[in-house]
Amino acid sequence: MNLFKPLFPLIDKLIAGPPAKFTGVMGVYYYVDDVTETVRTLRQTGHGNLRVFSPVPYHDVERALDQGTSIVRWVTLGGALLGITGGFALCIYSVTSWPLVVGGKELISLPPFVVIGYESMILLGSLANLFGMLALTRLPEVKAAAPWDPRFTEDRIGIWVPCAGETAVKVRELMRGHGAEEVTVHA
Amino acid sequence: MSETTYEPSADPEDVGVGEHLPATVTQKSLNADILRMHARPGKIWWSVFLLDLLILAIGGLAERNQIVYGIGVAGHTRPVMWASYVTNFVFWVGIAHCGTLVSAILFLFRSHFRRAVYRVAEAMTVFGVMTAGLFPIMHLGRPWFPYWLFPYPTQRQIWPNFRSPLEWDVFAVTTYLTVSSIFFIVGIIPDAAAQRDQAKNRFHRLLGWIFSFGWRGANYQWKHYYSAYLYFAAFATPLVLSVHSVVSWDFAMAQVPGWHSTIFAPYFVAGAIFSGVALVINLLIIIRKGFKLEHIVTIDHMEKLAKLVLLTSTIVGYSYLCEFFCAWYGPSKFERDMFWDRFFGHFWWSGWIMFTCNVIFPLLLWFKTVRRSTVPLFIIMLFVNVGMWFERFVIIVSSLAHPFNPSAWGVNYKMSWTEAAILAGSFAWFGMFFLIFVRVLPAFSIAEIKETLVPPMRRKAS
Repeated sequence: MNLFKPLFPLIDKLIAGPPAKFTGVMGVYYYVDDVTETVRTLRQTGHGNLRVFSPVPYHDVERALDQGTSIVRWVTLGGALLGITGGFALCIYSVTSWPLVVGGKELISLPPFVVIGYESMILLGSLANLFGMLALTRLPEVKAAAPWDPRFTEDRIGIWVPCAGETAVKVRELMRGHGAEEVTVHA
Repeated sequence: MSETTYEPSADPEDVGVGEHLPATVTQKSLNADILRMHARPGKIWWSVFLLDLLILAIGGLAERNQIVYGIGVAGHTRPVMWASYVTNFVFWVGIAHCGTLVSAILFLFRSHFRRAVYRVAEAMTVFGVMTAGLFPIMHLGRPWFPYWLFPYPTQRQIWPNFRSPLEWDVFAVTTYLTVSSIFFIVGIIPDAAAQRDQAKNRFHRLLGWIFSFGWRGANYQWKHYYSAYLYFAAFATPLVLSVHSVVSWDFAMAQVPGWHSTIFAPYFVAGAIFSGVALVINLLIIIRKGFKLEHIVTIDHMEKLAKLVLLTSTIVGYSYLCEFFCAWYGPSKFERDMFWDRFFGHFWWSGWIMFTCNVIFPLLLWFKTVRRSTVPLFIIMLFVNVGMWFERFVIIVSSLAHPFNPSAWGVNYKMSWTEAAILAGSFAWFGMFFLIFVRVLPAFSIAEIKETLVPPMRRKAS
């Protein structure tokens, strides 16, 4: 007997997420070069707001999407600078707030404070990197921004194009012509 | 429709011949193979787990004994007041170094063989630091006040001494625990999403849902994720080098003969990587055999790790010889006496165990047949870890037992049963986390191993 059985509906509900309504076309692909060609063609026809879901990042697809460089590095740099400044500031403040000379040493002796500054730089830089990444990747994502297919974490690639009406029909035909295994229009 | 001028790449990344997985491994089979580890545990797993809990309970009782009766129940005797607990602390911090080496340093060097092994190494890192962090607390006379170590002023507005290596240690170890945990959890995100979508059991799906943070593998997510991952690696690399350097300065900043040496930082870092990689080899040998994953963690992966052990063994061996040379060539009679005492004094046996296990046995790894046979490899790595525990014992206990003052040379430190039980309990504590981890989260990086596979292409590149 499974004691956790009463929790099953709750778990299923959590994993499924809140119900959402989507408008657009989802194409499911197997071949990477099919995806790349579809992405290039879609972008040429003005669908710049498409999304590609894949189990691994494919460099060919990245190049076709021409996404540019992530700005997470600037967030990380900010955290690291704050960390090193804060680490040194903490040490210097602590010895000047209650000046207690020990063994005739300088109160502000920078060499031993390097360790604190260095470790604080790594700590705050890493935390900034984490929070920057989470913000930019929009995680945690509770409500899906596009229809989801579990095969996208297995071996299939999805292309989601938000569109409606006549455009959706054209996108559907384009995907079919570019090797999509399945194309679903969400209206 | 526009004409396609794009030339697809039909090969995976530029990895070594041995790093390619067999052709039978596909993206789909990889998910299934790795998530298969989450099947209902069998009798062997339960037996090992219960034995582990029993040993942990004995260790817990010993710690309870020490809290009730005081630190005197440990065998610490003046002048050896840092004995087994500090030895254990340094040993476990050392073990914890391998994960970040494999994850971060090899990531930056684009050593793709890391992909099949790094999750196990990272888990070992996190659990290793969690184990190491217990020992300074146990070693406190009043273990209920560990927060006094943290940087905040007392009621009299006096701050901790930031010039003290012990305070550096607090910063280094807590930073290491935080960063390695973040690195570990961030690495799991895409694989947890696979677990959320593919796992058969609801409990595993729920865990996948929690650890995936709602990951969808969207193009913008991969872009920021890998960019951030690169910076995690860039931070973790100097961190891994600094943490054990700081640990070594706990000793090197003191005047004690045998400790006051500038070689300590690189010597400790090399030793830490040496012991950590040895333990990860042991764990991988058990996991790949137990879960029948030899086609994913191939013998080529094991050989590459064995080469790392061989390299670090030579650095450790060089450091031993260098220390002896400096003692012999240097001006300090106390230093010379101490080093003589390490191999021919009261604790001679520990010195010889250290040297044999860390320098002599690993020489067998020069032979390719040994590096590619799991049984000899497993035995050598066990010896390496025994040797590395004794290395810390030699550095700490034999040095403290032979200080400047000859009247203190009447060595009388003996490990008490409390210390022995706590040492055994620490292995059980580590083992408990590891045994649970392999059963509930992906123990291998599904997404990164998939990158090693040939991407599916309809039109092969010319």
